[in-house]
Amino acid sequence: MGRYLVRRLNLFIATTIALITVLFITTGHFPVERPYALSGIAAPTSTQLQNITDNYQLNGNQLQQFIAYAQTRLGGDLGLSVTSQRPVIEELTQALPASFELAIVAGLIAVLLGVPLGVLASLSKNKVTQHSIMAITLTGYSIPVFWLGLTLSLWFGVELGWLPVSGRINLLYEIPPVTGFMLIDTLLWDSVYRVSAFKDAVFHIILPSITLAVLPFTVVVRITRSAMLTIMEQPYIKAAEARGLHTGTIVLRHALPNALIPVLKNMGLMLGTFASYAMIVEVIFSRQGVGSWLVSGIYQRDYTVIQGGVLGVAMIIIFFSILIEVLHTAYNPLSRKEIYAAN
Amino acid sequence: MPRIRIYQEDHIPSPMQKVWQAFADNPFALMGLWAVFCLLTLAVFGPWIAPFSPEQQDPLALLLPPSWDASGTVEHFLGTDDLGRDIFSRLLHGAHLTFGMALAIVLASLVVGFVIGSISGMMKGLKSSILSHLLDALLSIPSLLLAILVVAIMGPGLDNVFWAVGIALTPQFVRAIHQAVHEELQKDYVTAAKLDGANSIQVFWYVIMPNVWETVIIQTTLAISAAILDIAALGFLNLGAQAPSPEWGAMVSQGLDNLLTAPWTVTIPGVAILCSVLAINLVGDGLRSALSPIRN
Repeated sequence: MGRYLVRRLNLFIATTIALITVLFITTGHFPVERPYALSGIAAPTSTQLQNITDNYQLNGNQLQQFIAYAQTRLGGDLGLSVTSQRPVIEELTQALPASFELAIVAGLIAVLLGVPLGVLASLSKNKVTQHSIMAITLTGYSIPVFWLGLTLSLWFGVELGWLPVSGRINLLYEIPPVTGFMLIDTLLWDSVYRVSAFKDAVFHIILPSITLAVLPFTVVVRITRSAMLTIMEQPYIKAAEARGLHTGTIVLRHALPNALIPVLKNMGLMLGTFASYAMIVEVIFSRQGVGSWLVSGIYQRDYTVIQGGVLGVAMIIIFFSILIEVLHTAYNPLSRKEIYAAN
Repeated sequence: MPRIRIYQEDHIPSPMQKVWQAFADNPFALMGLWAVFCLLTLAVFGPWIAPFSPEQQDPLALLLPPSWDASGTVEHFLGTDDLGRDIFSRLLHGAHLTFGMALAIVLASLVVGFVIGSISGMMKGLKSSILSHLLDALLSIPSLLLAILVVAIMGPGLDNVFWAVGIALTPQFVRAIHQAVHEELQKDYVTAAKLDGANSIQVFWYVIMPNVWETVIIQTTLAISAAILDIAALGFLNLGAQAPSPEWGAMVSQGLDNLLTAPWTVTIPGVAILCSVLAINLVGDGLRSALSPIRN
């Protein structure tokens, strides 16, 4: 296992270097001058220009430039945002918690609803139930997320007027950021309106998180169902049945833990798509977050924000997909066999 | 002397025919297949069928509701948008942009992914690991981020969507084909062929490939639906097809201004995207279940 972890760590490092290489090459192709694209300062004074040239080794050869670029970026200096002239790293760390909040809520909805439904779909012998669950999941899988978001906000936000359709909280509340997670910050807020602010934050997250949850939900249902169908045929389930165990016990104790392994694996594979969807959802519901920040960055041709955002988001996704792979291996002894067999 | 009948049926279906029979037994999959054929026809002949040109503006029929509404007319079957452009014609003209583009992207990334995936699948050790894992992890970057990078360099446009979505789709093919080839390579019949003296190209093409095609086909259907959704999403964010273009995602974003007064300008292109992706997914699902007895 130790050797495996070292190999995954190597993979993470190698991927990060490759990612920085890609960003370095693309930065060279941005249709602006190089010091501007690197630092975000539009009209640098001569001392600033000197600083930029020194920092990024602009007079050196490509390799020196690349090393200087990698050092600066990994050292946390992502340059200044072209539009706001604030450090990009500051804006990124401010925007990240909001996106994590949305992703966590959507992921929880998907797993907490998807796994039970998948189990029910696999246990049901009724053709109608099976077909309707499959039809619903297939439709959910095919819906364009931007259109779903618009339709939901049109129905529940505008026509029924039940839920707010934009932002993270009503503008009446001035919540001091502590963790960056609105749901936690409102509870930490030292005010008599704490509970109503929390309720408001919850109302604001319902529509975006449901929109975002549709894709992972359908995937979880389908994978859980097919995994359960395979597992319920296994001899050890028959043995448990022969021992006279209750169906509930068999499903929960013997079948479900094994059925969750492929679900975990597919979540890792889905991460990229999920992140794309999360960014679109943030734009539609005008929520603060990395997605809306990056998309407005590209509208304004904010080259430093684009580089910093892409680097940050891509590294987070790579980290999580490797983490899920490691977890998958740790939980699944069968895949460990493969590691030792492989050279 | 009469022919000896060993089997009860005279005709023994080939594996291909068996797959087709299993596929045709599923009515939903068959429905999806018909819908995909219709879409293909529309993508090719759409511009000839369309009653109006996609940019033709009718100042007398602004924001006309669809024909089933009381105030709609049959001339503009699905209504018009805020410039008086016929939505039905725009959908037909957009079919080859959204659907045809998706097919082209998938074909290109299939070829590239097939080459890289089969090379890395046939190789062992570090080289294979570098090719597959690195590409794998690096390109698990969301397609939207890639699109943002591409747009930052080349500016927005439908051509650049080709690169963004294509680069995002390729690793999926690489991953699927690498795994399939790698799995087959460990099986005994491959060892038998090697012992017979087949070189690695023969092993790859004549021994392994016939067992990998199913994976390739299933992955292709998945990729087509993903490509349509990606193209539409980029069009919606104004990073792909630009304003007057009848690409379906761009049509949704153009209808956004009138969402409250004329919801059909958003709903109808959205339903078109939903139906085409659903049709492809139905076919893919049907194929997967038809092929599964063979694959296991």
